[in-house]
Amino acid sequence: MTAVPAFRDLSPRLRAHARAWLPVAVVVLLAGAFGVGSDAFFTLRNATAIAAQASTLLIACLGATFVIVMGSIDLSIGATVLLTGAVSVLALNAFGLGVGAVAVGLGLGAALGLVNGLVFAFGRIPSFVVTLGTMSVFSGVALRLLDGRAVSYRSPAFEALAIGQWIPRLPNIALIALALWAAFVVVANHTRFGRIVFAIGAGEDVARIAGLPVRRYKVYAFVVSGALAGVAGALAAARLGAAGPTLGGDLLLNSLGAIVIGGTSLSGGVGGVHRTLLGVLIIAILDDGLNLLGTDPYTQLVVKGIVIILAVLAGRGEAVETPK
Amino acid sequence: MSGLERLTGGRPDEAARPAPAIEFRSVSHRYGRIPVLADVAFAVAAGSVAGLIGENGAGKTTLFNILSGLAPLQSGALRLRGAAFAPRSYREAVEAGVSRVFQEQALIPALPVYENLLIGQEHRFERAGFRNRRAMIARAEAIAHEAEIDVDVRRPAGDYPFSVRQALEIARACLAPSLVLGIENPIVLLDEPTSALSVDEEAAFFRLLGRLKGRATLVFVSHRLNEVLKIADRVHVLKDGRLTASRRAGEVDESELHRLMVGRERGVAYYRQRTRVGADGAPVLAVRKVSRAGAFREVSFSVGAGEIVGVGGLLRSGKSRLGRAVAGVEAIDGGAVEIAGAARRSAVAYVPSERTREGVIGAFDIARNIGLGNAGRLTGRLGFWRARRETALAEEAIRTLDIRASGPAQRVATLSGGNQQKVVIARWAVRKPRLLVVDNPTRGVDAGARAEIYAILRRLTDQGAGVLMISDDLPELIGLSDRVLVMREGRLVAERAAPVERKPQEEDLVALMIGLPAADAPHREPRLQPAEGMAP
Repeated sequence: MTAVPAFRDLSPRLRAHARAWLPVAVVVLLAGAFGVGSDAFFTLRNATAIAAQASTLLIACLGATFVIVMGSIDLSIGATVLLTGAVSVLALNAFGLGVGAVAVGLGLGAALGLVNGLVFAFGRIPSFVVTLGTMSVFSGVALRLLDGRAVSYRSPAFEALAIGQWIPRLPNIALIALALWAAFVVVANHTRFGRIVFAIGAGEDVARIAGLPVRRYKVYAFVVSGALAGVAGALAAARLGAAGPTLGGDLLLNSLGAIVIGGTSLSGGVGGVHRTLLGVLIIAILDDGLNLLGTDPYTQLVVKGIVIILAVLAGRGEAVETPK
Repeated sequence: MSGLERLTGGRPDEAARPAPAIEFRSVSHRYGRIPVLADVAFAVAAGSVAGLIGENGAGKTTLFNILSGLAPLQSGALRLRGAAFAPRSYREAVEAGVSRVFQEQALIPALPVYENLLIGQEHRFERAGFRNRRAMIARAEAIAHEAEIDVDVRRPAGDYPFSVRQALEIARACLAPSLVLGIENPIVLLDEPTSALSVDEEAAFFRLLGRLKGRATLVFVSHRLNEVLKIADRVHVLKDGRLTASRRAGEVDESELHRLMVGRERGVAYYRQRTRVGADGAPVLAVRKVSRAGAFREVSFSVGAGEIVGVGGLLRSGKSRLGRAVAGVEAIDGGAVEIAGAARRSAVAYVPSERTREGVIGAFDIARNIGLGNAGRLTGRLGFWRARRETALAEEAIRTLDIRASGPAQRVATLSGGNQQKVVIARWAVRKPRLLVVDNPTRGVDAGARAEIYAILRRLTDQGAGVLMISDDLPELIGLSDRVLVMREGRLVAERAAPVERKPQEEDLVALMIGLPAADAPHREPRLQPAEGMAP
């Protein structure tokens, strides 16, 4: 905050508002900059591309946001997407499940999340360590199943679920992502699950002493995180037409980046699922715009890393806002 | 707080002599809005032993913190050997020759004794980046020899029992400044040095102090008044942050020290106690021989409907952890806790002493904080949260408990301590508990809100609830309780009826807590050896 002295002089209320609107301003700013830099940016086609790219990330981030709101972290999301994507494609090819392959992803993802949650909550190991370990396990298993190669599928129904357009110009995967987002905003703000997860993040000891089943809800949060990563994995494979070793590879950085940029604090209790949409948009626009400008992928990594750090710097200090 | 008067002017009467080792001149200190020291003034002569006594929260530790650089000097003046002194860090204090032996042991078990004795001074034994081990060992042996402690300084500190390690720590504090730093007449602060020692270890401790007397100026805090009188030259008494007396040890006896420490007046009306005690109600809580390793042993008692039972004891007597166990927040190793006619969690309310860490979530509004304890009744169909009902509960609580707030949406962090505490009580009060366990319900609460909290507790008992109140505040313990239990070293050692017309004396309760052979103590329990590393 010392960097912007004027900001400090604002009243706390104004400051909280400024912080809440910061991601929106960044979206507008980035879009403006890329629009000036590239004629291809403000085209319907590009908008469709951004939507499709952002969808996998958004779905995977929805569940992970609960884990972070709870004051924990899930590093295994990328690996979960890889493993669930691989297994749903293999199951599709073996049993001809069609659209049902998404259910395979969902179920397997939930099971993987359950493993994370049980080890974390009952083994009393920091979530960082648990999910660092399972990240390695899940991706190792997936790469063995795929034998290091991309496995494609043939199922028009499954493909249509991702890249079809029930609403013109809006890929179905984006539609599904937005619907899930809306549903989980409600879950976060208006259900017992959301309430308790926020309470654990804001004051775990208080929640426990108030008699809330803290451990059980820690497990639930990881199950939700895994299940949504599973859906993201299956749909990502559907969109790409195959499950390959690189599936979900950029998700570790992108998911944590999107959640944090959106304004959810890594220390827990502050932020929310509704804000993650903005974080995802910023990451997706950044990726897309830098591509259009012809920036090489290595430089893109540098830029993205810096943006994430700046976002956390801007958002630190007192609580951004209490959840509504 | 209470309208008490200072018994002495506090002007050090030794000011005429050569500069005292330490001199406090009208030192005041506050944490936020809460005053902890008010106008404290006294001096400690060089080479003497000063005893510092007072109840929990009287300000002893704060005084030590100021002297050792852990708390800033907010107002007043502090002089060390005649010169102004205001250390900004512990290191600065140590370099000026002020060191401290903490309640928790500070030796590192895995390091050899000699490294422990010279910790922080290693650079004095280095040449060209290499450490001269032999010189370090020789110096450490000199310290151990001087203090007559029989140890092999090359062995890890963890190899020696607790009492030896403590002796080493005291020897380090007293002798390292002169033998290593070349500081004449160091000052050593001892914070309850004997609280974890057995009887024979205690005797060894006093022999050690006898040998070190004259080598250093010692200031020590203790709850054991007889021990203070035995080794101190002068005794300074703190009460509610004020110095109530500075006496030569030969001029006072234990009972006078008691009176100086605790004596104060506060009427029955203040606690809104009814003249007819509700102790005749059927028991709502029955505790049978509950134990918890390292905390309390075989404790049995009961609480009746409409009754307030107070539990008193020293800082580590096990009373707080007993409260947690009764409330189901902490597990028990043996015994049984029975609540009349209901499942434990839903019928027992728990108001913790650490309000900001365990009581409320400051970032949440009042409604959410109250909702935390009522998740069952606020969960609707399909797991949806009944936010409107939560707000209604909060509005009702704000009205009935008179919480000073703009409304249910006000953030709890912006409320005063007393109103925050009312929010914690409200969380439970809205579901009509059978039993309330409250731990220091008025700690850090101003006088007005304090009376209101007493009224709230009284009202809950009028409605038939039982209250188990753990308290470090003696007037509160005696005034509010219908019955007082005293714990010492993990045991329940006494029970006193406390009806309006026949309140127990503060002095008697303190004697029971400390374990003095007071005339009215019915039975003395054998001393319990506290486990090492017992949780505070």
